[in-house]
Amino acid sequence: MPDDDLRARLERFVGRRIQGADRVRVTHLERSTEGFSQETFVFEVEIGRDGATERRGYVAKREPVAGLLEPYDLEPEFRVLHALSDDPLPSPRTPWFERDPAVLDRPFYVMERLPGDVPIPAARTDGAAPFDDGEREALGPEVVDALARLHAIEWRGRFDFLGVPRPGRAAAEREVARWEDRIRRSGLPLDPALAEALLWLRRNAPVTEETTLVHGDYRLGNFLVVRGGRRPRLAGILDWELVHLGDPLEDVAWCASPLWRAATPYASALLTPEDFAARYAASSGRAVDPERLRFYDVLAVVKMSAIMLTGIQAFRDQRTADLRMAIFDHQLPFLGALLGVARGWIAGAA
Amino acid sequence: MLLPVEALIDGVVRTLVESILPDVTTRFARGQLYAAVDVLRNLRDRIEVKVTLCEAEAASAATALERVVAGLGTERSAVRIAEALAAAPGGPPAERAAALRAALVTALEALDGLPAARTEAARTAIAEHLAAQVMRDLMVLKPSLLTEISKG
Repeated sequence: MPDDDLRARLERFVGRRIQGADRVRVTHLERSTEGFSQETFVFEVEIGRDGATERRGYVAKREPVAGLLEPYDLEPEFRVLHALSDDPLPSPRTPWFERDPAVLDRPFYVMERLPGDVPIPAARTDGAAPFDDGEREALGPEVVDALARLHAIEWRGRFDFLGVPRPGRAAAEREVARWEDRIRRSGLPLDPALAEALLWLRRNAPVTEETTLVHGDYRLGNFLVVRGGRRPRLAGILDWELVHLGDPLEDVAWCASPLWRAATPYASALLTPEDFAARYAASSGRAVDPERLRFYDVLAVVKMSAIMLTGIQAFRDQRTADLRMAIFDHQLPFLGALLGVARGWIAGAA
Repeated sequence: MLLPVEALIDGVVRTLVESILPDVTTRFARGQLYAAVDVLRNLRDRIEVKVTLCEAEAASAATALERVVAGLGTERSAVRIAEALAAAPGGPPAERAAALRAALVTALEALDGLPAARTEAARTAIAEHLAAQVMRDLMVLKPSLLTEISKG
């Protein structure tokens, strides 16, 4: 869809939903490159009302034709984000969801744009880390405390539609099955390193002591950070497409995984993994059991492998021309190395 | 690599023509882009994955599988793994490497059903191969441009 067409459609969509406006105009529209999964459009709206003009920033997230997390269903993510507007969590207000393909061809939702930028989980071109020591000191605890708050959100009666796991090992087993299924559905041959990890995960699924809301993709790259002023602050937690109910340590392991350290020794380039776990334990009041954490460490790499394999297959099938899917093919050895460290067949610090 | 070289080149050409060309505005740059597409299209049917990489992987995997079979001794699963090893084609190297990868998965599944004490030697053989293979794969990788790819 050409940008002019997209702009006109968004203008009609938003115009019908903003109450009391004389005029609504989309003045700026840009396709975001940071997100690798859903299509993300950042746009600004000029609203004329009683002779005055107001500007608002929005972000539209649309299901892609093919992508890393297919099959897509934006509705659960929207319902959670919409409901979280009242919770003490830095998440964007998310006013609208639209399933009608007549509007933008595919389902999408719109959220209000928050200030800040999204540091990328990779070393900068000059080799520098995403954050300096002062920024790490300010942001690290804030990111952990926000995760503890996220896990404290009451989900019963609000988010049961996400699927409540039975007590015991069901939450862990469901996640293994979910990602194994995605690996199988990619139709690509199973790599021996991945097969070994899957077999280990199946045999070692831990008991979940307490079911919580799990973000599923809580990590550097999904944090909106405002850097103005003396101290940077966490302005938003983005990309809730993997939200589910499960073991909170799944988020802890994912956020601290070597996947997101951006060439630093720090969990999400912020805190040492030990400090991250200790801070989480103190902030949440939950013990961080090392064995359970180890299970979710391995699951994190398996999950990332499944995501990459899905993208590779979408590219191979010519369902997407997005070359970012193709780069995963040569990045898989990194995941092999991380699996080796997590499973102990390569020596190294996880 | 999971993407055949031909599919990779076809995909790059498709992206250059469909997604990038419309935004290239100067005549010189458009000419250069068409030249790049022309080069890639003509490269497509003249290249293949480096044989030496596949041969190294296949040799390492075959050795590991032989050690697995030897380590299992008279276990019934040893026969199944030996059959998978024997069934791998002698060539081309890429096909042999792929078949041996599948045989390793068969071996891992077979080991999973056996008591840990009886599989230690076999597991060590596979672990050593996996570690060596990861290192071989990493050695040919170039520094990542992920930051530039993400930021645009």
